[in-house]
Amino acid sequence: MARSNFYQESQFPSPFQQTWMEFKKSHMAMIGLVLFAIFILLLLFAPVLAPYSPDQQDTESLLLQPAWDPRGTFSYLFGTDSLGRDILSRVIYGSRTTLGISILMVLMAMLIGCAIGAFAGMSRGLRASVLNHLLDSIMSLPSLLIAIIIVAILGTGLSNCMWAITLALIPQFIHLTRDMVRTEWHKEYVTAARLDGAGKVRILFDSMLPNMTEKLVVSGTMALSTAILDISALGFLNLGAQAPTTELGAMLSEGLEMAYVAPWTITIPGAAILLMLVAVNLVGDGVRSALRYRLHQ
Amino acid sequence: MQLLDIKNLTLEIETNSGTIKALDKVSLSLKKGEISALVGESGSGKSLIVRTIVGAIPDRWKITADRMTWKGQDLLGMRAAKRRRLIRDEMAVVFQNAVGALDPTATLGEQLLESVPSRLLPKHSFWQRKQSRVEIANRQLHRVGIKDHVQCMKSYPHQVADDVCQKVMLAMSLVSQPELLIADDPTMGMEISTKVQILRLLTKLNQTKNLSILYVSHDLLAIAKMATNMTVLYCGQTVESGTMEALRATPFHPYTKALLDSAPSFRKDLPRKSQLSSLSGTIPTLQHLPIGCRLGPRCPRARRECVKAPATRKVHGHSYNCHFPLFEDC
Amino acid sequence: MMYAYIIRRVNLLVVTLFVLTVASYGLAFLFPGDALMNLSGVVTTDPDQYAELKQKYAFDSNYVYGFFVYLGHILSGDWGISLYSGEPVLEEIARYMPATIELSSYALVLSMLIGVPVGFWAGLRFHRSIDYTIMTGSVIGFSIPVFWLALLLIIVFSLQLGWLPMSGRLSLLFDIPQRTGFILPDILLSDLPNKADALYNAALHMVLPAMSITIVTSAVVVRITRRSVADVMESDYMKAAIARGFSPAQAIMRHGIRNALLPILPQIVMQFTVLLTNAMIVELIFSWPGIGNWLLQAIYLRDYPAITGGMLAVSALVIMVTLSMDMLIRAINPLKRRDVHGTI
Repeated sequence: MARSNFYQESQFPSPFQQTWMEFKKSHMAMIGLVLFAIFILLLLFAPVLAPYSPDQQDTESLLLQPAWDPRGTFSYLFGTDSLGRDILSRVIYGSRTTLGISILMVLMAMLIGCAIGAFAGMSRGLRASVLNHLLDSIMSLPSLLIAIIIVAILGTGLSNCMWAITLALIPQFIHLTRDMVRTEWHKEYVTAARLDGAGKVRILFDSMLPNMTEKLVVSGTMALSTAILDISALGFLNLGAQAPTTELGAMLSEGLEMAYVAPWTITIPGAAILLMLVAVNLVGDGVRSALRYRLHQ
Repeated sequence: MQLLDIKNLTLEIETNSGTIKALDKVSLSLKKGEISALVGESGSGKSLIVRTIVGAIPDRWKITADRMTWKGQDLLGMRAAKRRRLIRDEMAVVFQNAVGALDPTATLGEQLLESVPSRLLPKHSFWQRKQSRVEIANRQLHRVGIKDHVQCMKSYPHQVADDVCQKVMLAMSLVSQPELLIADDPTMGMEISTKVQILRLLTKLNQTKNLSILYVSHDLLAIAKMATNMTVLYCGQTVESGTMEALRATPFHPYTKALLDSAPSFRKDLPRKSQLSSLSGTIPTLQHLPIGCRLGPRCPRARRECVKAPATRKVHGHSYNCHFPLFEDC
Repeated sequence: MMYAYIIRRVNLLVVTLFVLTVASYGLAFLFPGDALMNLSGVVTTDPDQYAELKQKYAFDSNYVYGFFVYLGHILSGDWGISLYSGEPVLEEIARYMPATIELSSYALVLSMLIGVPVGFWAGLRFHRSIDYTIMTGSVIGFSIPVFWLALLLIIVFSLQLGWLPMSGRLSLLFDIPQRTGFILPDILLSDLPNKADALYNAALHMVLPAMSITIVTSAVVVRITRRSVADVMESDYMKAAIARGFSPAQAIMRHGIRNALLPILPQIVMQFTVLLTNAMIVELIFSWPGIGNWLLQAIYLRDYPAITGGMLAVSALVIMVTLSMDMLIRAINPLKRRDVHGTI
């Protein structure tokens, strides 16, 4: 059959598809996504993937070198620490704790922050002004500093750290949502929905939220990288995860005393944190630039 | 004297979906003291021609032309520094979007003073140079119709109205006393009274200072009054060019006719309540350009031959690119 | 307009500091132990002295009055006594704070000196191979946990190569009287015979801590600068400048640099807060006698007067630096954009 239309049929992908197509084009972003997927797999299947239990001590082989060292063995790929625990297994479990808790914290902070932000964005007058003033001042304090202060009050420990970092992450989501709600509120499509008689809640969920999702994802990845950095920093400072819990930052601080004899007890957990952050940041960058490309087209 | 002569200019842009000929064998020429109009719908490549002439296009875009000369000097083969000097001294450009074309963090005064060429300043008395620079700038501001030059000079672009920016842009381009003014839709978004004022200023400069103007616009009414020549562009192809009268009296190309017909004020005989004529369809996107004559799919007279690009034919200085012109007998 | 802005900002500063003092007063009650002891830092079993303290902090009255009495003490410089060292908290802060400011400001200046030009380079070569190379480096630099980086640097440069000292601020051989609290000026002001040696030694001690902070911060500065430069290069006015007959280099010099730098200055200044936090962690690793190290020790030792005092001091420093820089930038920026919380 002859082609009836002269021009090629052009399919117009949905905004999400456009973002995804743009995201796929960037090799860096895809590398990040694959790395991130690997970490998620580690998180989900740690007990299956780890060769040993993180607490299992092999008193025969303390401070064993990694496998690439002539003195190392393949039964302990990354070597052992001063208590004879397998570093590979500990890194897997540590990543699980660090990443899992960070994701949990970010989701929680996002939920609370967006709720408050949407409320602040829609309210006017004194209430909004007070909130803005408070937010502006809290925003200027770095999240880790806030977290350290909160931990100082609540006392050390992993769960206290979780609360502290979640609290410290909330302001940025409030700020973001508030600003987005403010700008979107004046756009025509929202006005149209309002003229149709849609209530505030309906406008927020049906009209505005789809337009904000990707920006939320971008700031979510940023918050995730902050959260990972903060939780491991607190772990490293001995304010976070305590002894029996395996956490990457805490592993670093445990390896500290043996740094001269066994540098791998420090380099390997640190490299795991680095890889995790690189993955998160690459994904965040990818989504951000895909989004920028789509919006500027 | 032939000032600007462009023959078969082709501009290829690399995109994700392959190479696109954004300009396809465009020809344009301009004599000294002439006002020439470049007409076409938005997206037809008018602004690209302007940017190609002044060399403000990215390096990765490929330009080819049989001829592209300024007063007989080849613009494409010229060294970059020489070309820049030429553009700075002898040509001037007014851009479409004046607010965007002005540096947002510099005052209008700074930018205007920056455009005053040093050749207009007194040679020996360097202590008077600043003063005379300011004087020249102020005089130019008055000329384009800005009365309060003090306020204007110290304002930032975002502090003044859009049409003031437009006027300052015009002042910046005229202050160097160029031979050719390339005006890319200079009256866009202006009120009608300001627009008339600017057009009058341009006509006056043309008559008194023998300034050549390449007027790029889709405002047929304004063009018809001032321009002596007209070049019509469609989708990056030259469609027809010639003197204003010839084109209006006997358009050869179906597109030119459609364009002229679409402006009701050109047709005194238009019966009341009759349909305004227009071509069916829309301008194709750059990704989906038809082969051959790009008007093909929309042209009422298109035939099989139109899939090959028509060669330029010339009748009494009136050239057109069409296999089946409207008045074959001419 | 401008005055309204300044008033708004100063107002913000006062409100924030007020909230912080409320928090630190509240903390004394939230911390474990006796609230009065947490506030004053005086440990006593003597009932007379206890009554005197009670009198001093107006503990018989309600909390609001008590708070204002406490505020009065804070304002007059009585921040209580450290439970651990028994010295006045404010004096300790004044002793440790300069070391932190010194380290942070060197790192900030270095980061800008490195980050801005490299960011410009990447932005001017946007989406070319050199840009990708720089961005890869920057993503890694941005992702490195600063404490790990510091440890790596120690392992490589101090333990294995032995080039640089791994802890402290100055070799114990030198005895520098403290005047300004900043080590380099102090050495210059001192009347030691071997000033040059002392300076060299102090500089060596500073290399590793400053380097670990600088690497992380300059990676962020590179990203910010590159984005802004790329945006400016895309803009109409740069194209217009080139169309007017400027060479690309001239156009960048005259119109590019200012437009690229002005919008990102606030974002770069915002990095100071992150930098300060990093400095606090790095101080602990290098035993740098700064406020971060001191505050963390206070947390380990549960020295509550010191914790509240340190928190107050660090937050006040951060807020005052950001606000004053913000105001300064606003004064020089003709585009009165209200863009304090930037993105990277």
